[in-house]
Amino acid sequence: MRAVDLHHGASSEVGHVRTANEDAFLVAPPLFVVADGMGGHEGGDVASRIVVEEFARLPQDGRDSRAGAEAVVSTLARCQVRIREYATTRSGTGRRVHAGTTVVVALLVADDDGPKWLLANLGDSRIYRVVEGELDQVSVDHSVVQELVDAGEITAAEAAEHPERNVITRALGAALGTLEPDFFLLPLAAAERIVLCTDGVTGMIDDATMASILARSPDPRDAADGLVQAALVAGGHDNATAVVVDVVGSATDESFDLVRRRESLETKLGTLP
Amino acid sequence: MSNAVRETEAGRRRYLPGSWYAAIGPGVTVLLPASAKARVAAVWEQVDDGATFDDVLDVLLASGLRGLPDVVVVGDAGDAGEGTRVIVRGRGRVSCDTADGAVEVTAEPGATWGERTVAGVTGLTAEVEPDAAGDELSVVSGLVRVSRVTWGGGAVVGAAAASSVAVPEPTTSMPEPEPEPVEVEAEGPEAAGTGEHPAVATAAPDEQETVAGLPPAAESDHDGHTTAGVSGHLPAEPPGIEGQPPAPSVTSRPVARLVFSSGDTIEVDRAILVGRAPEARRFASSDQPQLVTVPSPHHEISSTHLEVRPGSGVDHGMSVATDLGSTNGTMLMQPGLPPEELQPGIAVSLMPGAIIDLGDGVTIQVTHP
Repeated sequence: MRAVDLHHGASSEVGHVRTANEDAFLVAPPLFVVADGMGGHEGGDVASRIVVEEFARLPQDGRDSRAGAEAVVSTLARCQVRIREYATTRSGTGRRVHAGTTVVVALLVADDDGPKWLLANLGDSRIYRVVEGELDQVSVDHSVVQELVDAGEITAAEAAEHPERNVITRALGAALGTLEPDFFLLPLAAAERIVLCTDGVTGMIDDATMASILARSPDPRDAADGLVQAALVAGGHDNATAVVVDVVGSATDESFDLVRRRESLETKLGTLP
Repeated sequence: MSNAVRETEAGRRRYLPGSWYAAIGPGVTVLLPASAKARVAAVWEQVDDGATFDDVLDVLLASGLRGLPDVVVVGDAGDAGEGTRVIVRGRGRVSCDTADGAVEVTAEPGATWGERTVAGVTGLTAEVEPDAAGDELSVVSGLVRVSRVTWGGGAVVGAAAASSVAVPEPTTSMPEPEPEPVEVEAEGPEAAGTGEHPAVATAAPDEQETVAGLPPAAESDHDGHTTAGVSGHLPAEPPGIEGQPPAPSVTSRPVARLVFSSGDTIEVDRAILVGRAPEARRFASSDQPQLVTVPSPHHEISSTHLEVRPGSGVDHGMSVATDLGSTNGTMLMQPGLPPEELQPGIAVSLMPGAIIDLGDGVTIQVTHP
């Protein structure tokens, strides 16, 4: 297995409307996390910070995908306990506190047949990948409008304008409901670039804009900055956070091209029919 | 059901869970005891298709009255006159609210049945199991297990009903649920599983709890945009093939072993995705599929080409293979059968000794675990 290098960039801005940045992110290769807190000052910001703290404690040793998924689930469970405890404690002071957060995670894991991206999603922050220059949304939002889209009730375009577009169906901190994230497992060759971002980015700029920003930013730091700045220019209605990770010196399978070129040459030379 | 009732409640009924079946359709509702299970499927089909009162009676009585000791039928009177027509045979008891007071319909002991057509019904309660208690649920149409069904204002019958008045309607807007007739048709061992989901049409109490448990949106000083909400605007699609019990995602013992031409052997105790660079999407940590990468120098094999998983239903205890829409297809050679090309998305059960050909010289032999 070839060594894999991860280059990354991250950017987070409060935006033009909010007074506090309740987003939080963690870049600790091979682990990347973005969390979008909900609940206002001393609510959402604390919830997303708890997520980053707990994930930062994950030992960095190599895992296979199964151990990785278990580690993510148990870390989310610890986050949930802490967020609930925090909300309960704060409520004791008289003011009712709502603290919740979305989470998206990208963790590089080592399986027997090579390194892979283990991705996890809880809420409406998103995971995208770039493969062969194309942007592709990997995660599926846990939101009311996504459920309506899945059911064929509304189109994706209608979803962007739907009054309930910001209502999410899974989150850390919620009293009830599932805490089980969706997992995705991608071979490195199928994801030259991974993008984690909050809805402060995806709610302000469309996928085509994202794709063009990513395409003209070979450096992941420029890409992350570009996405967040574009969200600000588009209005900056919410906290905007993006983490971009490039797989460098990747395990891309080049044998196909080599074989095809050789065959083409051999055909032209007449050594193959 | 009269128009008056339908307008007051927009077609929504409330019911208490019980052992009887209630087939609740747009025009006619039929309540049958658990012992009449064999008839329920046919009745539901009629009721759901909007059959008239007499159509439903025909189906009910097609195999004779003797095997039908108890039944309640409520519906639009139709040709028989203006109003709501009620038939009660056996134990049931129906109470209709009208402007002139309550009208009760029961069957006299020894009578074939009791029948009334009542005009101007504003609410109606059909009670078949008097001692039932519990939380009331609501349903628009569907096949549910009940002890009591209430329309409109609901004439209060029995003590249990008193508490039900306070039960709020679910706050989420549920579209008309699509009940699955299959739930009824299932017989034999699989039917046992359906007992766990008697209320095909609704999950109302859960939703109420979820609403209560989450921070109320109005109160939360939320992050400008994102708020936590409640899933369940739509009834969750049951996973897997409609009408079959969901496949066990991970089996305790492998149902087959796959021997790859490369020499690798993989036990089938969960979903296995085979391809040139396989990807797994949207899985839970408990049912993580196993990815098997096979070499394909000529790219004849798609990145995620084939799925092999433990079968469910009639395929229980066997493995099934599904071509996942591969570019070049998958050939399957089963002992004693001509070679076949797998149809994309269609699962085929694998016999021991079967050989799967993915292209590029990669074959998989299926053996006993």
